[in-house]
Amino acid sequence: MDTVTLTIDGRPVKVEKGRTVLQAAIESGIEIPYYCYHPGIGVDGSCRVCIVKIEKMPKLQTSCSTICGDGMVVSTRTADVVAARAGVFELLLINHPLDCPVCDKGGECPLQDFSYAFGPDQSRMEFPRRTFDGEGVKADVDFGPTLMLNRNRCILCTRCVRFMRDVEGDAQINVIDRGYGSEIATFQEEGVHSLLSGNLMDVCPVGAITTRDYRFKSRPWDNPDAADTICTLCSKGCNTTAWIKAKPEWAKGSRLIRFTPRFNPTVNGYWMCDIGRFEYHWIESDDRLRVPLARVGGVERPIAWHDLLPQVADRLAAAGATSPGSVRFLLSAHASNEELFLFKRLAEHLDLERRLSTLDRERVEPEDVVTVSWRHTKKTQPARTKFVVPAVDAPNVNGARALGLAPGAPGSPQGPADVSALRSAVEAGRVSALYVFDPGPDGSLGDTRWIVDARASGALGLLVVHGVLLTAVARAADFVLPGASFVEKEASYTNDRGRLQGTARAIPLPGEAVEDWRILVKLCSALGVPIECDTFESAADVRGAIAACFPDVTGLAGLATLAFNAPAPADHWLQASNPSERWKWDVMFQDLPPVKGSVDPSALPPPPGVIPLRAIK
Amino acid sequence: MSFHPKMAYDASFHKSGRTLTEAGEPFAYTPENTARFESIVVRYPADRRRSAVLPALYLVQYQQGHVTANAMRYVADLLGITAADVEDVVSYYTMFHTKPVGTFVINVCRTLPCALNGAERVTEEICGKLGIKPGETDPSGTFTVVEVECLGACDRAPVVMVNDAWHECLSPEDASKLLDDLRARGEAALSGCHHVVESRRL
Ligand code: SF4
Ligand code: SF4
Ligand code: FES
Ligand code: FES
Repeated sequence: MDTVTLTIDGRPVKVEKGRTVLQAAIESGIEIPYYCYHPGIGVDGSCRVCIVKIEKMPKLQTSCSTICGDGMVVSTRTADVVAARAGVFELLLINHPLDCPVCDKGGECPLQDFSYAFGPDQSRMEFPRRTFDGEGVKADVDFGPTLMLNRNRCILCTRCVRFMRDVEGDAQINVIDRGYGSEIATFQEEGVHSLLSGNLMDVCPVGAITTRDYRFKSRPWDNPDAADTICTLCSKGCNTTAWIKAKPEWAKGSRLIRFTPRFNPTVNGYWMCDIGRFEYHWIESDDRLRVPLARVGGVERPIAWHDLLPQVADRLAAAGATSPGSVRFLLSAHASNEELFLFKRLAEHLDLERRLSTLDRERVEPEDVVTVSWRHTKKTQPARTKFVVPAVDAPNVNGARALGLAPGAPGSPQGPADVSALRSAVEAGRVSALYVFDPGPDGSLGDTRWIVDARASGALGLLVVHGVLLTAVARAADFVLPGASFVEKEASYTNDRGRLQGTARAIPLPGEAVEDWRILVKLCSALGVPIECDTFESAADVRGAIAACFPDVTGLAGLATLAFNAPAPADHWLQASNPSERWKWDVMFQDLPPVKGSVDPSALPPPPGVIPLRAIK
Repeated sequence: MSFHPKMAYDASFHKSGRTLTEAGEPFAYTPENTARFESIVVRYPADRRRSAVLPALYLVQYQQGHVTANAMRYVADLLGITAADVEDVVSYYTMFHTKPVGTFVINVCRTLPCALNGAERVTEEICGKLGIKPGETDPSGTFTVVEVECLGACDRAPVVMVNDAWHECLSPEDASKLLDDLRARGEAALSGCHHVVESRRL
C-alpha cells in the first residue's frame, strides 16, 4: 500500500495514497464537519463546511475534495478556519426552520451537532425565512410511498440526488429552479418510487427526508439499545442494526422501532432495501403465535408445551411407521443452519425407527423427505443499480444446500424452489404426516394453498405447523408450535455468496414461544432420538455438532466459532448507517448525561466479518 | 407499494405547494424536428446523449412554443435520462417556458450594468404599455415580458432580447416605439447584436 504522510493540526497522519484530507482526518479522529460528502456516494464539494487551511495554498480548501499530498500541513482550528466555517454555518441556517423540537432527526442530526460544535452562537438574519410548501408540520409533503419531504429543512447537499443517480440507478430526484429558489424535487411531485428509498433518510444529513414508517414514533433517546444483527428477508443477508425502544412491559406498542443498515463492504455496503427496513411489523403483530395450540374437537386450543410435545412425538412416530417416506417435512429457507440440522436428524431417526419396527430394508434419505422451500420474486430495479436485491426471499438456501437438504451447490445461482414432488405426494394421499416449519413472515414458503386444500379434502392426516405467525396453514394444523423470529434468537445463516452470518437476540420471545432449536431438541428427546440432543444446552452446542458432522463444507466453515451480538446501549445514540459518522458520537458531547443501559459495547466481540469501530483514545 | 400496514400511501398527507407544469397534449417531434434532433445528437458521444438536452428542448419550444410535462418525458426517453433530469434543466434556465407565451418573448436584462442604464424603466414602459406584469403575456397573445439576468452585451446597456434576437441601447423612451415597430415589422425591428450593427456600419 502506497502511503503519504501529512500533518493535520500538528499531528502526523499516515494514509493510503489517493485519500482526501477529510478521509484522513476522519480516519485519525480529527473533527472536521461535512455534509455533502458521504463515503458511499462520494465527493460533491457543495456544502463548504469542511474547509481547512493547507499551507502553501492561497485560500481555504474544501478538505473533502483535496487529495492528501506528502508533507501537506493542514490545520482545522486556526482562527481563520474557525471564523470561515462559522460563516458557512450561519449561511446554512439562514433559511433553516430550526424546528428541532418537532423534527424527526432531532437528537441524531448532523446539522444540529455540527452547528452546535462549529457554528456561530447566533444568527444575524432578520428577514423572514424562505418557506416552500408551508410552515411547521404542513411543510412535510408527500415524497413517494415511503417518504416525506420537508424542503424548508433541506440544506441542498444533494446527497439524495447523488444516491438516486449513482447507487439506485434511476435519477428520480433532482434540484429544480435555481439560486435562492432551488429545491429538491421529483418529476412533477411524483415522489420516490424505489426499493432503496429508505436509504435516503439515512443519507439526508438533516430532517428533510423522513420515512413514514418511523416518523414521530420515537426520539433517538427513546431507543436506548440497539442490536447489530443481519436481515433475513432475502438471500443477501444485509448487515443491519435493530433499534429497540424503551418501554415498560405493560405498555402497548412494539419494541422494535426501526432497522438501519450497518456498513459491511462485502455484503451491503452502507445500504439496505426497503423490504428489510420496513417489513418487520409482522414480528410483533397481533398474528404472532404466542402459545402452543392443539386441535381438539375440530378447534385449535391452547395447550401446555409439556402436554403438546409427547402428543406430537407419538403421532409422528405412528405416522412414520406406516410406509417409507410417509412423514414429510416442508421447511422454509428461513430456517437457520441449526434448525435444518436438527430436522435432518429428526428425519433420519424417524426412518430408522420405521426400518427397525417393520424390518424393512429400504432406506429413505433425509433429502427425500425434507423439502426446503422459499419464495422467489423478481424485484423491479433499474438496470444500472449498484445494489441488487436478490429474487430469493429467504436467507438460508445455501445453508440448506450445504447440509444436503436443497439441490445445487452452495454458492451457485438460486432459482425458484421446487415443491412439486411433495405436493403430488400429498395430493395423492401418500403422506400421512406433514411437518411445516417457517420462522419467516407470511408467504415465505411460497404458495401453500395446496396444503390447506389437502387438509380440507382429507388427503393429509396429520399437519404440524411450527412457526411464528398464525397463517392459513397454521389455522389448518393439528398442532401449532410457536417459535422464534430472527430477532429473537441467535441463529446462523449462509447467504447467497456462501457467507456465514449470525443474527442477534434483540428482543424477548412473545408469550410462551420458544427458540426453535430448543423445540426441536425437546421433540427429538420425546421421540428418543439417540443423539447428543439431550446434552444440547444452547444453540452453540448445536453449532458445535454441525461443525463436527460437516467439518469442511463450504458455507458452514467457522460455524463453531461464529460470534453473535447482543443489544448494546446506543450511547452514541446514533449508530449511523455510516460508520464514518460514528466518530462524532464518540468524541463530541461527552458532557451529556449517559443513556440507560448496562452492557459495555467494547467488551462485546465484534460481529463476524464486520469492520469493528475504531476506538478513539 | 406501501410497506406500512397502517399508513396507506396517498391517504392523508400534504401535497407540495409547488406549481406543476401542465401535462399538455401527448408530445412527439414532427418528422422535420426528428431529423434535426438526429443530426444534433450525433455530435455527442453515444454514451453522452444527455448532452443534447438543451438543443432537444429548444426543438420542443420551436415546435409548440413552450415545454410541457409530456414533452419533458418525451425528451427524457429520447436521451435515455430521467424526466427529473429534464425538469431540472427546464426549471433552471429562463429561456424555457413552461406556460404558453406570446409571439414575441421580450427578455429585459436587469443585471447591474443594464439596471444602471435604466432597465427597470424599460420594463416599466413595456409593461405599462401592454398593461401586464413581468412574467405575463398580453391579452392579444403577442408579447410576453420576462426579466432575465445578463444577456452578455453589457456595454450596449440596456439590452433586451426578443425571441432569439438582440436589441441593444434601448432607452426607456424608445421602448414603446419598439413595441409598435415589432407589431409592424416583426423581428426586423430589432437592432441586432452590436457586432452585426458595427459590421453593417463599415
Ligand atoms: S434538520 Fe436537524 S437542525 Fe434542522 S430542525 Fe431537524 S433536527 Fe433541527
Ligand atoms: S433533502 Fe437532505 S439529502 Fe437531499 S439535498 Fe436536502 S439535505 Fe441533502
Ligand atoms: S463536505 Fe466538503 S464541501 Fe461538503
Ligand atoms: S447586464 Fe444587461 S447585458 Fe449584461
